[in-house]
Amino acid sequence: MITERHLQIFIALAEEQHFGDAARAVGITQPPLSQGLRRLEALVGAKLFERGAGGVALTPAGVALLPYARRALTSIEELHQAAIARDPEGPEIRLGLAPEVPPSAGAAVAAACGSVIPGSRVTVVTAPTSSLVNQVGTGRLTLAAVLHPAVLDGLEAGPVSLLPTWALVPAATVGTEVVALRQLKGLPIAVRPRAEAPAARDLFLDTLALHRPDGGTVVVTDERAGLAMAAAGQAIVVTADPALIAPGVGRHRLADDPLPLRLRLVWSRTRTPFLRPNDVMAQLTEALAS
Amino acid sequence: MNARIRGIFEDAGVRGWMHAISLDDPEARVELDADVVVPLASVYKLPLLAGFSRLVDLGELDPREQVTLEPSSRTAGPTGLSMFADPVTVSLRDLALSMATVSDNAAADALLDIVGLRRLAGILESFGLRRTWVRRGTAANLRDLQRRTGADNADAALAVLADNDRTDPVGVYEAASGSAASARDLTLLLRRLWAGELLSAEQTEFVKATMHRQIFLQRVASGFPHDGVRIAGKTGTFGALRHEAAVVTLPDGAAFAIAILTLAARGDFRQPRVEAAIGEAARVAVDVLR
Repeated sequence: MITERHLQIFIALAEEQHFGDAARAVGITQPPLSQGLRRLEALVGAKLFERGAGGVALTPAGVALLPYARRALTSIEELHQAAIARDPEGPEIRLGLAPEVPPSAGAAVAAACGSVIPGSRVTVVTAPTSSLVNQVGTGRLTLAAVLHPAVLDGLEAGPVSLLPTWALVPAATVGTEVVALRQLKGLPIAVRPRAEAPAARDLFLDTLALHRPDGGTVVVTDERAGLAMAAAGQAIVVTADPALIAPGVGRHRLADDPLPLRLRLVWSRTRTPFLRPNDVMAQLTEALAS
Repeated sequence: MNARIRGIFEDAGVRGWMHAISLDDPEARVELDADVVVPLASVYKLPLLAGFSRLVDLGELDPREQVTLEPSSRTAGPTGLSMFADPVTVSLRDLALSMATVSDNAAADALLDIVGLRRLAGILESFGLRRTWVRRGTAANLRDLQRRTGADNADAALAVLADNDRTDPVGVYEAASGSAASARDLTLLLRRLWAGELLSAEQTEFVKATMHRQIFLQRVASGFPHDGVRIAGKTGTFGALRHEAAVVTLPDGAAFAIAILTLAARGDFRQPRVEAAIGEAARVAVDVLR
């Protein structure tokens, strides 16, 4: 019996022309991919691919049968989508947001989940990147917007979105609207605990140290605390939140945007069949960066 | 123990795979996902060194035979013959020496051509390595990276991997397509080499002495700030991969085979925290096993 997996292997190999890449595209390892191909070739009674020097190429039989495989797989995907749409409960999407994600961006992703996946119910939690990656890996979350770079260990991840950041500085510290990082002297920069996202935090601190050798940092629990310290004249906050402001605090663009907020959507391929159509993730990524 | 090793890797922002054994008591071990097959980067030069020595033992290669490497056909790289401007005539054993001590890409690819992928695969199988594959050398690795990144030279392709603002091209770190091994297999190779089970006494000594002359001290050796501790290792670096397989010998003669394979979240060329974490993980393992 020809299965959905056989069709996925056939199409992925035709598109990638490479066993490793095709296995990755299907979300399996190479041995089951090769095995699946052999089984499919036995079932259709024809060799579909030739192994060449640089990779694999379709045989004439493969070329002739590929359009039928594509149509069959499209029909199966439509069946899945129709089933999801008919389910009165709809799929549940548990979305995780890193605390650094600006509220408006998090809201845009959640709203996009609702509109891109018809009938879905969206629930949202906020947690540090390391915790979110863990929760997506174990299936407690469907997808999450996390800091980049982070150790993802087998999770699927979308492209890196760069969000510009502003410096929130006690009023009257600097005059100009755009400031260079090295001009922000004398006050520590508020940062969240390193353990929440060691790689991303180290990249932030290393970049900071390159541009601004003195001034130091102060660890805060969240942006609310950082903003309050800025208002009290005690710290500088670097934020991607376009709306974060308080009396007595000035907002400044950083020249050349040296400290962008790097965000990525992560999800588990094996646990989220309804996220498979590629345009779903593209639309969610767009919502994150808009 | 695993929690401690995991903690070291998490803190450094890397995914790590590790296997460490006592050479006197191979049942005493420290391991973390030791059977996962990971792309080797330049650690493939270790099985290649062992394979070359085996062919010398069999009389199939003469270690004193001279070959001339022309600049136009030499593989690029930061060390050894890769850097030279003019043709170089060198013996096979000196190619092996340069390959293993300074990770010379040009020497390694020239030696791999002479040894041959098929012949090497047979030798590795005879060594009892079931999860070690040398499928291509450095030149082919760089060609594959250029194809995936669309860059027109190797440096530009590596710069794509080093850029924290960009998403890594699909399949760059796919174990299936390049040379790959599990951490457990690497320690098996080291243990059998050190026990003299694979090569003649003369070639065993050549391999050990060559590995003791490796110049890179920032990884495993960084965990042992004592000149009385001897380290014989081979590192591997490609994109965000940072590896080393080494035998650590304490002043009292107790020896340990350690393979630590890591993939960093950050892409930067220079990652001192990751180098130090490899040393720290090695030190923790030796302290448990001694």
